[in-house]
Amino acid sequence: MVNFTIDQIRALMDKVTNVRNMSVIAHVDHGKSTLTDSLVSKAGIISAGRAGDARFMDTRQDEQDRGITIKSTAISLYFEMTEGDLPDIKQKSDGAAFLINLIDSPGHVDFSSEVTAALRVTDGALVVVDCVDGVCVQTETVLRQALGERIKPVVVINKVDRALLELQVTKEDLYTSFLRTIESVNVIIATYNDKVLGDVMVYPEQGTVAFASGLHGWAFTIRQFANRYAKKFGVDRSKMMDKLWGENYFNPATRKWTTKGQDANGKPLERAFNMFILDPIFKLFDSIMNFKKDAAFAMLEKLEITLKNDEKEMEGKMLLKTVMKKFLPAGEALLEMIVIHLPSPVTAQKYRVENLYEGPMDDDCAEGIRGCDPNGPLMLYVSKMVPTSDKGRFYAFGRVFSGTVRAGLKVRIQGPNYVPGSKTDLFVKSVQRIVLMMGRSVEPIEDCPAGNIVGLVGIDQFLLKSGTITTSETAHNLKVMKFSVSPVVQVAVECKQASDLPKLVEGLKRLSKSDPCVLCYTSETGEHIVAGSGELHLEICLKDLEEDHAQVPIRKSDPVVQYKETIQAESSVTALAKSPNKHNRIFMKAAPLGEELSLAIENGKVGPRDEFKARARVLSDEYEWDNQEARKIWAFGPDANGANVMVDLTKGVAYLNEIKDSCVAAFQWATREGVFAEENMRGCRFNILDVVLHADAIHRGGGQIIPACRSAIYAAAYVAQPGLMEPVYLVEITCPEQAMGGIYGVLNKRRGHTIGEEQRPGTPMYIVKAHLPVAESFGFTADLRQATGGQAFPQSVFDHWQLMNGVSNEDPKLIEKVLSIRKRKGLKEEIPPLDRFLDRL
Amino acid sequence: MSNSLSGPSNFADDGSAVIGRHLDVHHFKLASESQDKIKSCTDIYEIDRTVSAIKERGYKRIALQFPDDLLQDSGLVAQLIRDQTGSAVFILADTSYGSCCVDEVAAQHISADAIIHYGRSCQSPTSRLPVIYVFGKQPVDVQDCAATFDGFFGKDKAQKAVLMYDVIYSHCIDQLLATLQSEMHYTNIVKSRVETESNLGYVLSDSKTNGALNSGCCQKKESCCSTSSSTEAATGCCSSEAAKSDYDQCTNSSGCRTATSTSSTQQLVVEDDNSEHTKKRRRFGRTYDLPVGDQIEDYTLFYVGDESPTLSNIMMTHSKCDVYSYNPETKKGRLESAQVNRALMRRYFLVQKAKDADVIGIAVGTLGVASYMTMIKHLKALIESKGKKAYTFVMGKLNVAKMANFMEIDCFVYVACPENSLIDSKEFYRPIVTPFELEIALSKSREWNGDYVTDFQQLLPDEDKIGVDKIKISQTQLDAASDDEDYSDKDSDEDDRPHFSLVTGQFKQSKRYTTNSEDTKELSALIQGTTDLTVRNKNTSVATLMSSAAGEYLQSREFRGLEVALGESPVELATEGRAGIARGYRTEDGYGEREKEKY
Repeated sequence: MVNFTIDQIRALMDKVTNVRNMSVIAHVDHGKSTLTDSLVSKAGIISAGRAGDARFMDTRQDEQDRGITIKSTAISLYFEMTEGDLPDIKQKSDGAAFLINLIDSPGHVDFSSEVTAALRVTDGALVVVDCVDGVCVQTETVLRQALGERIKPVVVINKVDRALLELQVTKEDLYTSFLRTIESVNVIIATYNDKVLGDVMVYPEQGTVAFASGLHGWAFTIRQFANRYAKKFGVDRSKMMDKLWGENYFNPATRKWTTKGQDANGKPLERAFNMFILDPIFKLFDSIMNFKKDAAFAMLEKLEITLKNDEKEMEGKMLLKTVMKKFLPAGEALLEMIVIHLPSPVTAQKYRVENLYEGPMDDDCAEGIRGCDPNGPLMLYVSKMVPTSDKGRFYAFGRVFSGTVRAGLKVRIQGPNYVPGSKTDLFVKSVQRIVLMMGRSVEPIEDCPAGNIVGLVGIDQFLLKSGTITTSETAHNLKVMKFSVSPVVQVAVECKQASDLPKLVEGLKRLSKSDPCVLCYTSETGEHIVAGSGELHLEICLKDLEEDHAQVPIRKSDPVVQYKETIQAESSVTALAKSPNKHNRIFMKAAPLGEELSLAIENGKVGPRDEFKARARVLSDEYEWDNQEARKIWAFGPDANGANVMVDLTKGVAYLNEIKDSCVAAFQWATREGVFAEENMRGCRFNILDVVLHADAIHRGGGQIIPACRSAIYAAAYVAQPGLMEPVYLVEITCPEQAMGGIYGVLNKRRGHTIGEEQRPGTPMYIVKAHLPVAESFGFTADLRQATGGQAFPQSVFDHWQLMNGVSNEDPKLIEKVLSIRKRKGLKEEIPPLDRFLDRL
Repeated sequence: MSNSLSGPSNFADDGSAVIGRHLDVHHFKLASESQDKIKSCTDIYEIDRTVSAIKERGYKRIALQFPDDLLQDSGLVAQLIRDQTGSAVFILADTSYGSCCVDEVAAQHISADAIIHYGRSCQSPTSRLPVIYVFGKQPVDVQDCAATFDGFFGKDKAQKAVLMYDVIYSHCIDQLLATLQSEMHYTNIVKSRVETESNLGYVLSDSKTNGALNSGCCQKKESCCSTSSSTEAATGCCSSEAAKSDYDQCTNSSGCRTATSTSSTQQLVVEDDNSEHTKKRRRFGRTYDLPVGDQIEDYTLFYVGDESPTLSNIMMTHSKCDVYSYNPETKKGRLESAQVNRALMRRYFLVQKAKDADVIGIAVGTLGVASYMTMIKHLKALIESKGKKAYTFVMGKLNVAKMANFMEIDCFVYVACPENSLIDSKEFYRPIVTPFELEIALSKSREWNGDYVTDFQQLLPDEDKIGVDKIKISQTQLDAASDDEDYSDKDSDEDDRPHFSLVTGQFKQSKRYTTNSEDTKELSALIQGTTDLTVRNKNTSVATLMSSAAGEYLQSREFRGLEVALGESPVELATEGRAGIARGYRTEDGYGEREKEKY
């Protein structure tokens, strides 16, 4: 039975202090969706019996079939705290009823863009860690992302049942394993922590760590046990909590607490955590799994757990599950932890505003966001599009940061390229309807005040993936999300029947809408390209395209990767290019930008929108640029934000300003289509050393300058040890020791190289980390399974661009590579000769 | 003239590039002996035929249009014609656009009665003057060609094939056909025909009665048919068939047959007996008859000639057929069609770019092809109906430098003869598309389905057909072009909804440069009574630019002309600056000498 009504939820939305927006994030297969079931069942949306099997939040058929989450799904839950617990909430709250907007996110790296989209609209994160596997690569990635968005984490150590039943560890081993996991989480938090967030490390004794078994539907925090024992011992609960973790021991003989592991006689004492918390659990497990029902029932009585008659008939795991659910209901423990420790929108938006808003921190909109003011100007960020049952239409899923959105409200829809004051990427439209996202279904509501997560109907036509919705004419954009994955793998698709082309095009549009990361475009050769972050991602996208979005049979090419063209040294000579009329000359030299600066540009730390003096200071302080030169950056490219720059180093050239636009245009063009393979350039700096211009304006127009400048750029790159860069995955493979040989075999065959291998403490599993070129990664998972008898599980995430050995136009292997790219693109299969670009005086 | 102009020539270039330009001349190896020269010249340039045609019609002023690579023989040809006819003969060279097109404008400068076009021709219909085409005969080793053909299709003697050829080989195509049919026993070979002088007979007689100089519709007749009633049907068929993919319209080909059979170079066509059962297709001047019930898709094309725009044109427009080619110079044959899909897909990409364009430049690439004005008007209306901005450019032959001078243009559409339309715009700053591609991009009534049209005549609505040079945009066509216009007025949502750009994979918001009267009125009302130079907006910060494309581009530019810097630069007395023009200012060294040379 659903134990709440939409009206109740709507009423709670106004009490923003009692709202918690949180996402569930973790490594793949650590049990997010299963655990979420417990929370959903707590709200009565699914029956308690099905919790743990239903994976209610996996709404798609293929998610259910494959057992992985692909899309993030949101649901609103109603939770009532017991009065006595309310004082524990350290932030402002109002009444005992709470609204929890929960987003379950996928764990597979290929879908981490979904995680980013989920994180943006939430303030807190429930980080799920497998107690056997421990902290994995994706745990680290999502945690880093969360902290980057200033999102406060709490941790759940999941699958404790596995440790007990499968691994049969001792209590102390289990404790150490917990401790180790928590420590590694805290290491990550310490590394990426934002000072503004304060201390967000997690401590079991403070109740920010829960221990759970999603499958069995139970969970606890130390706080709950402290509750029980506080009465018994007659101590304050918070003191009790401190005692129940860490180096605290209880001497049953003396009935005294101590911090030493031995009593006065040197006899080892049992750790309080083991004694008071693990012991009852271990005993229950032991008695039930070993069919000592009498002992079990005796214990149950002591624990005040009453079973129904039919439940008493149950045996083994079933009984265990039922008992544990009653003993330590997961929903309660977790929701309590969420309500107590995660920030309300009011709390969170105070410090998140700087990270969210692009405009000045003192305008109306910023104030509205900071105060989470339902009467302020509307500021809503749409983070993703959720397909509706109506084919081709989408709910715009987002969070109201300020103001109130209501049906029929006329709003400004600002796309990611909107510039305040201009009309580009701006639409003024009315919101048709507002809905509450409830997992598989939606519930219509009238309006939604700041601090809540909603779905909007009727604006999906104006936003592709994400954007800002506002009512203020002066509002800047809310910051565009930065994804940790990029679409580096691409395939070309075509429809099997030419007449299906319009449907395919429409399908591609819908596909790009439905996924935050996928990129659909047409290559210069006229092929339709779908680019995704990995093989699995592409597979799902193509399946969606064929079955849902386009609904026409399609053919796909083999996957290909994009390369980048770069340079490895300064130009050996000054490149000179003359304009077509020979009256203008451009002298240019290229130099490598350096990996660090390239990364900084790609991550948006240095960019075209920065104020030029501030940028020059950063460049001179951190990247050893000459301050004067740094002020004279003309452009970034390609697409005005890529990791190549053009710098004006000329002195006293008349009319130079006049040709700047032409030069920039040429630079964008040349960096978009590099000299050898026509791939994007990366990490190049082009210095314009001198320019000779015709005195007559008509002879130095764009028509003369653009070709000349483009040639000059090509020539400068040509003589600067040109190279190719390929995308490289960071692969993390978990496997037992005996499978290691197979892994190395596969890695070697695929140009992969191992960067680390370690045993996961307390388990027989090894973790191998390696760099693997994306180009070699197709079929890697299958190969690996084959070579290891299905024991190795890889996770690949794009890591960096790797320079390939050699010079593009000299090394035979690279020449071959370049020619094959040119062939694919339908270009002339030859390395263009230098004299096509380089002129002589 | 030079006296009135003070200063050196207006061109920055000294012209040496033109003089030094290297041309590939690989045709017409005339014998060195002068006697042989005249003989071979008479033969190659079909002097006799030309002369008799001229005499018959009594043309007095004749323009001989030569392509650059045949220019060396022009003197001799002109002399021969002048001697034999006594008419005034002029040589036209360096044609403004492609030398394949008839340069009517140049011919009108000398008030010519007729044009004789030499060399390779795109066979685009002209609108004003009668034209005699002389292709020039190139030798073909017919036996070898037939053997190559046999090598491709030897397995199946019933192979359906259409013979296509470069016009310069047209003289021996009947011989080839005969060889194939009689010696090698191929049964299903169809020959395509090009318009030659035989059609001219009718044109000339017609134009005479209609007044030779201003026969606006004479070319309509020339297009293939003899009687005026059949003309309507034939031309209707030619232009609309590609658009409608309907090949069954024109069965009235017997009239044409008579026309072509008078040709001196052509023999009677074999299918004459069943001409009632054939249907005709015409594409850029080539006509072929297919037996009823056959689709061109069933046929294989065999092309005689080397790589040329003609071949790529044939391949693009017949993308569903296999195309084999035979190069008479190298005597090699090969399968060409492997390339065509790639080429088509490339064009598809350009269509996507055109879709994203907000400002479109219409580049005029012909002044000869009939109804080009109609096409330009039509394109302009189409572009403006989509709220985009159109500019028209007349700039002669296209080159990278010229086109890049207009950075605000997002895409060019090139109105030219079919053979010149397909520009590989890779090196150009902005893509150059054909009118057909622009129609696909902008109009919802057309879709990309693999059929390709290079001849813009086929795009025009029926009443704007060849020869009818009236400037009127068919309402139906416009409606088709912007079929959502009507209800979009009511529902503006539909109208300004962004479209999904396949170039970037993002949403593209179409800018709307309104040209409607309301805005203009608003602007003029605003300007009235003010003496300001620009209209400012409320905040008096940005000038209001009434949704003008040029204004917007200027805003986006970093350089917007000289800076005022009021009060920052010291006031100085004016001094005399440089005089003259950019090529060499008078103050520069050597000016005086150059000036002296001139006199």
